[in-house]
Amino acid sequence: MRERFEEIEHTADLAIRVYGRDMKELFANAAYGMFALMAEPSKETTCEREVSLEATDYESLLVDWLNELIYLHEVEGETYYAVAIETLLPTELKAQVTGGPTRSKTKAIKAATFHDLAIEETANGLVATIVFDV
Amino acid sequence: MVDKKDMKRVEEYVYEIPKSFRPDMRVPARLYADAELLEAALGDRSLEQLINTATLPGVVKYTLAMPDIHQGYGPPIGGVIPSRTSDGIISPGAVGYDINCGVRLLRSNILAEEVKPIMGDIVNALFRGVPSGVGRSGDIRLSHRDMDDVLEKGSAWAVSQGYGTKDDLEHTEERGGMGGANSRKVSGKAKKRGSSQLGTLGSGNHFVEVAEVEKVYDQKVAEAFGLFEGQLAVWIHSGSRGLGHQVCTDYVRGLQQAVTKYGIELPDRELVCAPFGSPEGQDYFAAMSCAANYGFANRQCLTHLVRRTFEQVLAGKVSDWELTMVYGLTHNIAKVEEYPIDGKSTKLVIHRKGATRAFGPGMKVLPADYREVGQPVLIPGDMGTASYVLVGTAEAMEKTFGTSCHGAGRVMSRRAAKKKIRGQELQQELAEKGIVVRGGSMAGLAEEAPAAYKDVDRVVNVVHSTGVARKVARLVPLGVIKG
Repeated sequence: MRERFEEIEHTADLAIRVYGRDMKELFANAAYGMFALMAEPSKETTCEREVSLEATDYESLLVDWLNELIYLHEVEGETYYAVAIETLLPTELKAQVTGGPTRSKTKAIKAATFHDLAIEETANGLVATIVFDV
Repeated sequence: MVDKKDMKRVEEYVYEIPKSFRPDMRVPARLYADAELLEAALGDRSLEQLINTATLPGVVKYTLAMPDIHQGYGPPIGGVIPSRTSDGIISPGAVGYDINCGVRLLRSNILAEEVKPIMGDIVNALFRGVPSGVGRSGDIRLSHRDMDDVLEKGSAWAVSQGYGTKDDLEHTEERGGMGGANSRKVSGKAKKRGSSQLGTLGSGNHFVEVAEVEKVYDQKVAEAFGLFEGQLAVWIHSGSRGLGHQVCTDYVRGLQQAVTKYGIELPDRELVCAPFGSPEGQDYFAAMSCAANYGFANRQCLTHLVRRTFEQVLAGKVSDWELTMVYGLTHNIAKVEEYPIDGKSTKLVIHRKGATRAFGPGMKVLPADYREVGQPVLIPGDMGTASYVLVGTAEAMEKTFGTSCHGAGRVMSRRAAKKKIRGQELQQELAEKGIVVRGGSMAGLAEEAPAAYKDVDRVVNVVHSTGVARKVARLVPLGVIKG
């Protein structure tokens, strides 16, 4: 199976490199990558949440998307393992996330940052590096 | 990529990257380091991040990094950015997500020797009595009105609830409350994230540490700070929790458009900023001050929990279990301070990102009992080595905008530390050295292993030798709880 994300070196915080064949897959994989750092996967499906965001470009939208999921994870006590992105334009995202109550948290992520963030097109698809403050 | 040959040594332990190094630099960038710490800084991207800070509008003299410098996001950790209030900026990215992450030191009236045999009991009780760990909630639930009071009053709110004393406020930077805080500038989401986290330690590098004053270097200043050799003391390191994280998230997002609006060019979007005097800049400053106040109140509540635990464990066993504030200070903040620039007293926004204020003697904002000697500069090291108390100096006011380093500084990534070190083995090794450690998770403990940090003695030697802060006392850990 094609790699969806990988953790990369960062002295003080955490960073992941995320891959996607297209923008929707990149956004979904970024969420999977982040939750892989934050918590054990939830075993039950008890919640679905709608996420609707507006931003100025794909990079801002990607940061907003991850920060919205961090917010929901922290405030609702939920971990999401399935992502369905319905709309993804440079300025708009509509998605549904599915998951369950967080059972075991492994890492508190304070936020996704803009540092070093660029969504790049390569021969194998899209790549983005995301640095998280932990 | 910056190289050693691009740096000029301006004095022993001070290196300068000249303005000519990159066309977008407005001022030079300075690094406080010895040869080995310089090598460590060249090992990651922290110097590139330092250079980026020198491009921000309104920066004066030079931007700085302290010897505990390491790679962050936006500025390096250990960074200091001075920007004029008149035509400069304020940057949420340069303050970071854990607004007013900070540390305080409490002193006891007893010898550490008296409690060493029951250190295991003390650490276990602290682990039970102080909520810690990833996403852990506390016992304090805030109503909307309480939340607004916490955000606008800071530690004074906690003291009004019985979680401390007036003396605690006197011995906290800003007396535990930033003026200009306006809770209406803080989003509902931020308030929701913070509603159940007051009085919680959090995770990562946050800790409570029971320590012994191993050595006093400056008797006169140590006496002023109430410190003596052999004394039992307690460190508390925590921040503004989810509330501060969300305030930063909100304004890093919101100010992206201000950057375009005001025609600011940035080398890194995480250095997002707005002119200090603009509505956007002022809104952030008011919200940041609220988050800072939450951080002050949080450490005040944690202080209460530590005192309560000490009473529970030590009453009847030792003569005195009282804990008195030495000082409390902040690591991640932007503050308006005045410094002479080109012979004229100038108001500056001083961004300290993983750096400590180190005001010298005579500053009016210091508590009366410290005004003559200078501000205590608290430098926690790693959990297996040592921590320091230093004192701020007049040189700091001249050279570093009244700033010193804030810790040892990481040198190994969390990922590498986890690969190299096993939490359980580390706990055992520390126990053999007489240090009792309890943590929320073994992986979390491994990430914070002493080997992941720089040598704190070396870092402190740089600030001491350059005269930025002078050594007062060295403390060694006896018991640690990590989030």
